[in-house]
Amino acid sequence: MSSTALPAPDDEAGEPPFRSGFEPRLRGARAECDGGAPVAGTHLAGRQDFAGRLTGNYRDFGPYPWRWYLMAELTKKPNGYSLEAVWCDSGNLTLLDEDKLSIPLVP
Amino acid sequence: MSGPLHTPLCDKLGIEYPIVAFTHCKDVAVAVINSGGFAVLGEALHTPDHIAADIKWIRERIGGKPFGIDLVLPSSVPEEKSVEELIAMIPDEHRAFEQKIKEKYQVPDPKIRPDIHVWGGLDQKRALNQLEVIFDERVPVFASGLGSPAFLLKRAHELGMQVWGLVGKPRQAKKQLTAGTDVIIAQGFDAAGHTGNIGTFSIVPQVVDAARGTGVPIIAAGGVTTGRHLAAALALGADGVWTGSLWLASRESDVNLPLKERLIEAETDDTVYSDCISGYTMRTTRSPWHNEWASPEAPEVLKPPLQMILSSNYIQGSLDYQRKDLMTEAAGQGIHYVTEMKPARQILSDIVEEALDVFDRFASA
Repeated sequence: MSSTALPAPDDEAGEPPFRSGFEPRLRGARAECDGGAPVAGTHLAGRQDFAGRLTGNYRDFGPYPWRWYLMAELTKKPNGYSLEAVWCDSGNLTLLDEDKLSIPLVP
Repeated sequence: MSGPLHTPLCDKLGIEYPIVAFTHCKDVAVAVINSGGFAVLGEALHTPDHIAADIKWIRERIGGKPFGIDLVLPSSVPEEKSVEELIAMIPDEHRAFEQKIKEKYQVPDPKIRPDIHVWGGLDQKRALNQLEVIFDERVPVFASGLGSPAFLLKRAHELGMQVWGLVGKPRQAKKQLTAGTDVIIAQGFDAAGHTGNIGTFSIVPQVVDAARGTGVPIIAAGGVTTGRHLAAALALGADGVWTGSLWLASRESDVNLPLKERLIEAETDDTVYSDCISGYTMRTTRSPWHNEWASPEAPEVLKPPLQMILSSNYIQGSLDYQRKDLMTEAAGQGIHYVTEMKPARQILSDIVEEALDVFDRFASA
């Protein structure tokens, strides 16, 4: 089944710099995310681990594309993380359900 | 050239010694490269124009030798909000605790507004803009210090670039090996900054095993500050070492003098693995800020980037007024062996000599 990625928006017009899409085969898939990010305003970075279920929603950035999935129903998240969802880079996601392992995370 | 320190990494890069300096200082990078090692310049904080200027500056001083640039690609992003919205989200309890620390230690107000107050965060778009410079300049080595570089491998390889990935877990290494990453840096818990929770002696051989038969060199990171560490890393099967804290107090380093003194004085247990600076866990040198947030009356640490917004005035104030007693910096557990302010060339040659002594000792036993 193909994804439902939308055409690239016009960033200059104030649109977000990504193309949104939905991969129905990944909806509800259990996954772990070896997350983290640069610490704004410093040369430091930090790691954050998450676990939960993918919603199937994704965002593609840049020409490669650089694909990010939305993970919700979080069963593991860092202390102080008050939100119920997180966007995870596909290269740092690990699928946990046997029947989902063959689904490619990147196009 | 042959010898116990000549590894496949040396051949892959055309370098003399399998020692990689990770540094934010161009002068350190150039000194290490011109002394027979390899250097990767950390540019995560900089704009595309700044990165391009740094690349030009380095190229003019190393005579065609290879070098690397490191960016910290994000691997998870919680939300998108303006700086004003974020600042408004900091609870009064946390603001009061910050003020208490400020008064207790007489922390000065920063001379300039910390960057985070005018910037707010680094997202995918900013990272993509930085990457375009790396591609435009055809930097010989691009190192991803956090997120997986799998998505950019095809384009980088088409341009003749090597892509390195830093990992903190064996499964990250396996994913990057499958994707085609050229060199894997296996970073242990001893390391500075954003490290995983697996020790260097445990993660390095596991990543070496995962890479067996692939021809992909593995570099050991985390706590490497002596020739004995280099020899041990090679004995674990690594092809080289990644060093960071080692260069912070070097003569060429642009770290300010009081902070260099603080680093030279620091012992291993003066480094703390904590989330109190940014909300992310990272290893930095202990400071009053760390001690206060570890106290029973401290509130719960805020999520990123709120905690960094909260701590940024303290950090900037300590730097602006050179308050050594307040300063903190990312540093690994190997900081014990950073004991004097030496030129980078001497640091490198000391490591090489000590590692060769180790191998001589075993050979003659």
